[in-house]
Amino acid sequence: VVPKSPFIGIPPQDENYYKTSSDTIKCKDGSATFTKSQLNDDFCDCPDGTDEPGTSACPGGQFYCRNAGHAPVFLFSSRVNDGICDCCDGSDEYGGQVKCPNTCWEAGKVARDKLKKKIAMYKEGVVLRNKEAEQAKIAFAKDEAELSKLKNEENILKGVVQQLKELKEQIEKAEEKERLQKEKEEKERKEAEEKANGDKSAVEEEASLEKGHTEREIENEDKEMESKHDEIGLLDDSPADQDVVDEYADHGAEDESGGASKIEGSPVSEVEQHEGQEDKESVSTKIKDGSTHVPETGHDAGNEASHDQPMEEGEDESTDPEGLSKEELGRLVASRWTGNSEKQTEGVSDTKDNDHEDHEDQEEMAQDTHHEEYDGYASETDDETGKYDDVDGGDDIDETYEEEAHDDATTTYKSDFEDEVEFSDTTSPGNPSWLEKIQQTFRSIIQAFKFFQTPVDKSEAARVRKEYDESSAKLSKIQSRISSLTKKLKHDFGTEMEFYSFYDRCFESKQNKYVYKVCPYKQASQSEGHSTTRLGDALNILSILSFTMDINVRDKSKHLICPLIQWRWEKFEDSYRVMVFSNGDKCWNGPDRSMKVRLRCGLSNEVTDVDEPSRCEYVALLSTPALCLEGKLKELENKLESMNKEQPQSHDEL
Amino acid sequence: FKRDEFRYCNQAPFCKRARSRSPGACTLVPHGISITDGDLTATLLSKNENQIRPLILSLSVYQDGILRLKIDEDYDHPDPPAPKRRFQVPEVILPEFESNKLWLQRLSTETVDGESSPSTVVYLSDGYDAVFRHDPFEIYIRDKKSGNQKLISLNSHQLFDFEQLRVKKEKQEGEDNDNSENNGSDDNWEERFKGHTDTRPYGPQSISFDVSFYNAEFVSGIPEHATSLALKPTRGPGVEKDSEPYRLFNLDVFEYLNESPFGLYGSIPLMISHGKEGRTAGFFWLNAAEMQIDVLGDGWDAESGIELVKQKRIDTFWMSEAGIVDVFFFVGPGPKDVVRQYTSLTGRPSMPQLFSIGYHQCRWNYRDEEDVENVDAKFDEHDIPYDVLWLDIEHTDGKRYFTWDPVLFPNPAEMQKKLAAKGRHMVTIVDPHVKRDDSFRLHKEATEKGYYVKDASGKDFDGWCWPGSSSYPDMYNPEIRSWWSDKFSYDYYVGSTPSLYIWNDMNEPSVFNGPEISMPRDALHLGGIEHRELHNAYGYYFHMATSNGLLKRGGGNDRPFVLSRAFFPGSQRYGSVWTGDNTADWDHLRVSVPMMLTLGLSGISFSGADVGGFFGNPEPELLVRWYQLGAFYPFFRAHAHQDTKRREPWLFGEKNTRLIREAIHVRYMLLPYFYTLFREANTTGLPVMRPLWMEFPSDETTFTNDEAFMVGSSILVQGIYTERAKYASVYLPGKELWYDIRTGASYKGSKTHKLEASEDSVPAFQRAGTIIPRKDRLRRSSTQMVNDPYTLVIALNSSKAAEGELYIDDGKSFEFLQGAYIHRRFVFANGKLTSINLAPSSSSKSQFSSKSIIERIILLGYSPGAKNALIEPGNQKVEIELGPLMLEWGRGSSVVTIRKPAVQVSDDWTIKIL
Repeated sequence: VVPKSPFIGIPPQDENYYKTSSDTIKCKDGSATFTKSQLNDDFCDCPDGTDEPGTSACPGGQFYCRNAGHAPVFLFSSRVNDGICDCCDGSDEYGGQVKCPNTCWEAGKVARDKLKKKIAMYKEGVVLRNKEAEQAKIAFAKDEAELSKLKNEENILKGVVQQLKELKEQIEKAEEKERLQKEKEEKERKEAEEKANGDKSAVEEEASLEKGHTEREIENEDKEMESKHDEIGLLDDSPADQDVVDEYADHGAEDESGGASKIEGSPVSEVEQHEGQEDKESVSTKIKDGSTHVPETGHDAGNEASHDQPMEEGEDESTDPEGLSKEELGRLVASRWTGNSEKQTEGVSDTKDNDHEDHEDQEEMAQDTHHEEYDGYASETDDETGKYDDVDGGDDIDETYEEEAHDDATTTYKSDFEDEVEFSDTTSPGNPSWLEKIQQTFRSIIQAFKFFQTPVDKSEAARVRKEYDESSAKLSKIQSRISSLTKKLKHDFGTEMEFYSFYDRCFESKQNKYVYKVCPYKQASQSEGHSTTRLGDALNILSILSFTMDINVRDKSKHLICPLIQWRWEKFEDSYRVMVFSNGDKCWNGPDRSMKVRLRCGLSNEVTDVDEPSRCEYVALLSTPALCLEGKLKELENKLESMNKEQPQSHDEL
Repeated sequence: FKRDEFRYCNQAPFCKRARSRSPGACTLVPHGISITDGDLTATLLSKNENQIRPLILSLSVYQDGILRLKIDEDYDHPDPPAPKRRFQVPEVILPEFESNKLWLQRLSTETVDGESSPSTVVYLSDGYDAVFRHDPFEIYIRDKKSGNQKLISLNSHQLFDFEQLRVKKEKQEGEDNDNSENNGSDDNWEERFKGHTDTRPYGPQSISFDVSFYNAEFVSGIPEHATSLALKPTRGPGVEKDSEPYRLFNLDVFEYLNESPFGLYGSIPLMISHGKEGRTAGFFWLNAAEMQIDVLGDGWDAESGIELVKQKRIDTFWMSEAGIVDVFFFVGPGPKDVVRQYTSLTGRPSMPQLFSIGYHQCRWNYRDEEDVENVDAKFDEHDIPYDVLWLDIEHTDGKRYFTWDPVLFPNPAEMQKKLAAKGRHMVTIVDPHVKRDDSFRLHKEATEKGYYVKDASGKDFDGWCWPGSSSYPDMYNPEIRSWWSDKFSYDYYVGSTPSLYIWNDMNEPSVFNGPEISMPRDALHLGGIEHRELHNAYGYYFHMATSNGLLKRGGGNDRPFVLSRAFFPGSQRYGSVWTGDNTADWDHLRVSVPMMLTLGLSGISFSGADVGGFFGNPEPELLVRWYQLGAFYPFFRAHAHQDTKRREPWLFGEKNTRLIREAIHVRYMLLPYFYTLFREANTTGLPVMRPLWMEFPSDETTFTNDEAFMVGSSILVQGIYTERAKYASVYLPGKELWYDIRTGASYKGSKTHKLEASEDSVPAFQRAGTIIPRKDRLRRSSTQMVNDPYTLVIALNSSKAAEGELYIDDGKSFEFLQGAYIHRRFVFANGKLTSINLAPSSSSKSQFSSKSIIERIILLGYSPGAKNALIEPGNQKVEIELGPLMLEWGRGSSVVTIRKPAVQVSDDWTIKIL
């Protein structure tokens, strides 16, 4: 269809290009020319579509609709006269296939209102962002100051500790000497007394006992010190570990008390339980990572091991399905398509002629049957539903829990990865420096020991030891703090430090049955809320790693399905518009999990949406003032301005 | 792929036993040869006395050179009487086929030269006789024009064997002498495989025989196997000793392998032989039980003492677990004749809706309505056309078909309407397994009505599939099929709309915990028919019931679109099929071509392979190459496993997005040509996608070529099957030139060309002497292209002539059956292009009109110089100029173009170049 006006589809800025006085016009790509009569004659003469801005004749072309009252738009030429109204002014459908009413005024009004709202939000957001940036700069400077102060203190303290150590060693030497002297004396005396009188031995015994006791005490204290050391060391390596270890221990104890009471218990205990479970998971994650600090926990470790090499097991089974129940067999076969399948087929099928190995396979299979039982699309049979029934009964409790847990804008809170444990005393300003106190004490000790004498004054020795222990503990703490601060300050906090406060924060969002936790600079995780989710439903809602489900389903307590999936922080991308978490937990038949968090301007920090567009590749949305950029605000304001300009003075079309 | 879950031939007693028989073992001879009811009939009796009851043989002759041979038990025989009738597959042969029967009037008896026994001879068709030699019995067709040479024969090696039904007794020693030659007769009643027991209540009932094809260079057919088009020998000298026969047993095979005789999702026991001078013949066995077929290598019978006439020959050996002998011989003489003859028997491919030959976007799974909306929007954002968005099993409420997941798809009708507003359609999956859930009304109803297949003990068969515990409606039963069809009504299938069509998967049937991932062979269908007897047809009946459901839904005037994974002879009448769960590697891209070519030869024209490969993640290069090849598949759908990364066309960078868009666009440009080919298939049975030797039957270089293929008779496509290919080697058959469809560059025929591989497309050529209709405008979907103008691309042959056809109708209804269509033939000769009407005259009940014009005529092989052309009638002059062959690749290439002739596509006219 040839349009009425030859100038249809041309944007204002291009009009001069076409309204030339010359008879021929060049294709914009320079490949050819066309005559004025060929402009919009519904026949493609320029491969780039220059001659047909107003028709569908050129596949690559663009059509401009003015959309007076709203915003102008460029369409692909494929939309022109295709029977679908694309421009609100209807100008793309002049072929008569369809009548397109002009809706620009209404649509424009809606769009302008929306834009105005957005601008208002941006305005507010920009303020927030600037405030945030300012605070971040202060905080950053403070951190830097603290760091340098700590380094200074570390230096001094190092000296103190060193001298105390020497002093302590001196004392110990002296004591040892004294002890040997005493022993010698006593031996002599004993010998003498033995000769004289055997009855007085009781007194000596008491003396030696007392001494032994003291020594043991000292020993104990040392040990305690050491173990603290260890803990701190651990903390340095991976800041997340400490409470994990502790809580895990707690949880372990709790676990023994049995699951049932917990379910009936208060919501709080539910929360604890939940967290305990999470921690448990992260413990096992660490086992996988090869961290040796955590004691092996039989059950989970076992599961993790099978997580790493489950393929052989599955394979063994499937090569000889005899001995599986019909149902197990069905699940097993289904699981191949659904993600629990393995690629190591060839190796095993080689054994087909080998009776001996077949036999072995069968034996192994008998053990693994249980494992496979929950693979894939499991759990919808009646008896299994039954297993979850009692849990379903606890729905109310769970909901209460949710409300409580999520009431107060739950999406943001302090990071779990709090590594400045118990530092309030060391860092609180105004407090007359603890360092000075230490130094004073130290000086007084040195004073006292200036003239070192034998025999050692026992109380003085104890004081030295105590001071030494305290100072070295302080030193370790300082060093740990220095290390974590140094690490923190090395991070990229954005062009204006706008992400500084993200460092020790986490954002949480509940999507269906899953709780997603995004902790910038640390990690992101997905966990299943709590007990009531049934396996089958869970799979429908989001195809979660069925193996992770499997681990948990097989947990003795059965109803506690609480998998945790983690991703590790990697970097920002796309000029701070995307946070990338990668190297997440391994996915069946797929890549390591990764998560991209897209950031957009919003007045509060909030994770609004999480999606898994591809297996194991998650995308989350996080709105934050940090993304409310002044430049973007200007852009929006300009857009609104131009939209207002485009408005017909009087909209007589209506 | 778990090979051990599937039976080897030597684990299937019938196959093992049949394969161990030696030539000459058959002792049957005919008695009482006569003509009864227009058929040649006889009784087959064994020379030994171990036959349970006589066999009845009948030979029938049909128009167009089709010979039918039936052999079954004598059910009138009193002692021992047959315990039941053996299964004959109903509703495959067209009812009207019987009216093609030639009533035999007379027979003659002669003793053929060199034979010791007399033969009975009947007329078959012009130039052909059917010959029945008496002792040893042999049936063959001879070609009178070639000096009575044999064309095709059955039982020339006397391997024929027919195990007869028996009644199971407590103890059967003594009467087991029939099986004495069989090692281990224990196998014959009960049979165990991988923990499954087959009760086999009627004992062994297999049939086997040899078939020979004469003057044949190769045989082809018997889909579905992931293997070459020309079938390699499976037994004989030079073949590995443990080599398996080609298996026909519909199976759901996880991660199937390339280059394997292993049975896949569908079965068509049709074999086509082809030889020098373009001689083609066909053989078809209508039987739905498991079949195993050996292609025997030259010299396999060296020690048999049987000497056949010295003719180049390919012998084959056919074994089936049950059923009867109901076989058809097709005389050809060309490949197109055999396909026509076969589809006159099993039906022509149905006419698809126009939208369904566009591009289909599928994935397991588009998760929810938002996902659907986003994917749809992205196609528009990237200006990539597509016609259909697919939803796999996860869209249902707990794998209950005909339902929607209430959380993910709360407003399915609205979702479909949104797509429909852009002219797009949706397909949802409906599988045969029904979740055994008492609150599921489909299950409740099926249970109450007793509609499920029964297990050997008579209870509803309970197997495991996606929903868990499931049962399977007995689709063999017409009443149940009718019931199933009703489920597609808008009332029953809540949330379905007129733009929704259906996908049938898992209909082999797939049973996860069944023997070989399927249904036990002793499961029972209507009338006590054992599953073993109809296994290969189960999916066919299911496909039929679904297709009829859509027909009913549309009041009989909306062409159904149903994609099925399982298939059987006749499936072409009910929709399209695809090659199942392939893998994202180059070998699977490569094998997709011979697989589809074989399907096309077997009547199934509308076939495709998952573009990109179902399992695994294709490298972008592989994905692009797959799109470039897939754009020429008859059925063009991308699909992916749920564990794979997203791979929609725009996810691999700007360049790859462009390449994929262009590949898809080429398909859309060629839609008028494809649609015309689908109509040709619909009327003649000729496949859309053809082996080169179908178009060039005497060109021996084409016989082993299954890397390239023809789309219709005008386009040759060569896939690129290797990574970073620098060159592509393309053999172009025939004496005429070929034109690169993209650049217009010409290449000589009968020559292998080493071409530089372009990343823009796979090599594709238009044959000189043809005219291809195109629609060049890019649109969102085929729906918006309806009124777009046409381009005609004329490739002139050495005598500066060309011709081609164009078929147009409303693209969706059955009005075309009443004559509501446009069918033009374009002929170019003597510098003049003429449009000739091929449709019946305007007296037809129904009319179809089109306002579309022809906007451009491109002449390849026409020397430039002419400035004008004259249009008659109207005496109007139009310009001739140099222009691009394809707008998107336009730069540089200049071909003679008639600019804006603007003639109506539906009119008669001529255009004369001045």
